Amino acid sequence: MVTRTTDIQTEEDQLIPSQESKAPSSQPLSVLGGNPVLYPLELPQSDTRTSTPAVGQRATRPDGRLHGLGQTQYIDDISFPHMLHAKILRSEYPHARIVNIDTSEAEKMPGVIATITGAEVPENTFGPTYQDQPVLAYPIARHLGDGVAAVAATTEQLATEALEKIKVEYEPLTPVFDPLEAIEDDSPKIHGESNIYTSKIIKKGDVEKALKDSPHVFHRQYKTQMVEHVPLEPQATIASWDGNGRVTIWSSLGRITLGREDISRTLAIPQSRIRLIGTIVGGNFGGKNEIRNEPIVALLSKKSRRPVKCVFTRDEEFTSSTIRHPFIMDYTTGVNDEGLILARKIRLVLDGGAYCSWTGTTIGKGSILAPGPYNIENVFVEAYAVYTNKTTTGAMRGFGAPQVCFAYESQMDEIAHKLGIDPLEIRLKNGFSENSLSPTSQTLQSVALKESLNQASDRFGWKEWKA
Amino acid sequence: MLIELRVNGELRSADVPPETTLLKMLREHLDLPGTKLGCDVGDCGTCTVIVDGVSVNSCLLLAGRAKGSEVTTIEGLANSNTLHPLQQKFEEYGALQCGFCGPGMLMSAKNLLDNNPTPTVYEVRDALAGNLCRCTGYTKIIEAVVDVSRDMKAESDA
Repeated sequence: MVTRTTDIQTEEDQLIPSQESKAPSSQPLSVLGGNPVLYPLELPQSDTRTSTPAVGQRATRPDGRLHGLGQTQYIDDISFPHMLHAKILRSEYPHARIVNIDTSEAEKMPGVIATITGAEVPENTFGPTYQDQPVLAYPIARHLGDGVAAVAATTEQLATEALEKIKVEYEPLTPVFDPLEAIEDDSPKIHGESNIYTSKIIKKGDVEKALKDSPHVFHRQYKTQMVEHVPLEPQATIASWDGNGRVTIWSSLGRITLGREDISRTLAIPQSRIRLIGTIVGGNFGGKNEIRNEPIVALLSKKSRRPVKCVFTRDEEFTSSTIRHPFIMDYTTGVNDEGLILARKIRLVLDGGAYCSWTGTTIGKGSILAPGPYNIENVFVEAYAVYTNKTTTGAMRGFGAPQVCFAYESQMDEIAHKLGIDPLEIRLKNGFSENSLSPTSQTLQSVALKESLNQASDRFGWKEWKA
Repeated sequence: MLIELRVNGELRSADVPPETTLLKMLREHLDLPGTKLGCDVGDCGTCTVIVDGVSVNSCLLLAGRAKGSEVTTIEGLANSNTLHPLQQKFEEYGALQCGFCGPGMLMSAKNLLDNNPTPTVYEVRDALAGNLCRCTGYTKIIEAVVDVSRDMKAESDA
């Protein structure tokens, strides 16, 4: 195999544009009192925008060697002298008021150095859009994954045992799990007055009139399920609060600048006193895009005056990290006899789980992409994100795009089948092309949708299969 | 309890609590953190090591059960001069992305080639079925293992 560096070097020479320099003058010019440096004001013309020697070449990852040797240092591979291990007690109820937490029995256990509850967190709220998420739930627990107390002990096993000694008195509240129930006026409310916490409307043309005039109208409801990212490395944090009043946090977080803001808020100390080190991440996929146990571990370190490590169990990874939003999607589409889409009306209900997290991004992207990559004159999309007493939904690859894709492509197949049109044909007929307008009236460029469909169907033998 | 075993050819021992798994013993008592903990229930395979010629989930094996065994971990694959051919090919193929499944994946692959130097693609898939990877989609991993076995065959034929 040829190595990357030599490939690039040999091809690079050919890539230098052959035309003369685009500088205003090729003659060196020196004018007294003038600017001695001449330069063109256009963007440099570069062939690399259309072709580069890297394309088609095999590049080796700079970190591949260490991965293969098992030398990559993930958080759980880091430890410090006198380091403690933290475990978090999870709520017993999906929706409950915490009346009292008694940690005294746990604290008496030998090896248990510190405990903490939500009441001790300086500012017990965080979140990338709305700050509705507690570090440790108090006084209301809103799903089974909510932490209610945490323990730092000399070993992981002691910390786990100590959790059993913490007595929590709950007053159970009525939970709501179905987002369509949660939307109703008489449903139990999870935060404030309404369970709808974000909505979005997209309008283009007159969808009602166009549907009325459509020769064929199709309606169906589509649903998608929860999906957990399952990074092979569970979420992990180490915090060390030092004698200068500064805290150093090693975290598997993917967004450390944003994380530092949230940590600063929750700990109520300035960002200048927080050093957040993003370590090599063993898989993120969106699940490590906001803080999770960092403030808890930092506060346990402050209390115990020792470094503290907390690694999620696989169970916690499922219940207490974020997951993909389940969508309930109502699609109504009007088409003519040739299969041309005349109107599409969509209602999306996003099951948001207990807290907002990255719902803002998900509902935005989901709504914009909901009509599909098709030229439709009349579009109406309404989307609602709803709180339920379930695992918090947040960022995950695609931010809502895979959910709506399942719905609109399923419906395209149904329309094609009912009208007796080839499924490929109906997509080519309606698909975006260069300079098509998106549902939000953005002019689209570099649109290779139809070419891609044609190439793909040619390669997997669609026409032969149909024949 | 005192556990003595041979790890990567070296005699090692540690005094560990009886509930200690082989994984914990390797990582925390023998300072070999290359082997990873992913699920702790034997599902993901990221803790795979070779014990007496068999690839095992070290999170499920108590250290006491491995007493006197011959254990090979990811730290024992390369030597000071060369990478193991599997490590070399995994690197070339870009078979590891986040890398967390790598140590387990490589040990399963090594165990396969130790026992069956010329596996079919189906046998490679089968041997790696207990190792989950969330990044790569497995294609590059399988290609790399097949390529190593092809090289091994070419060498033995020569």
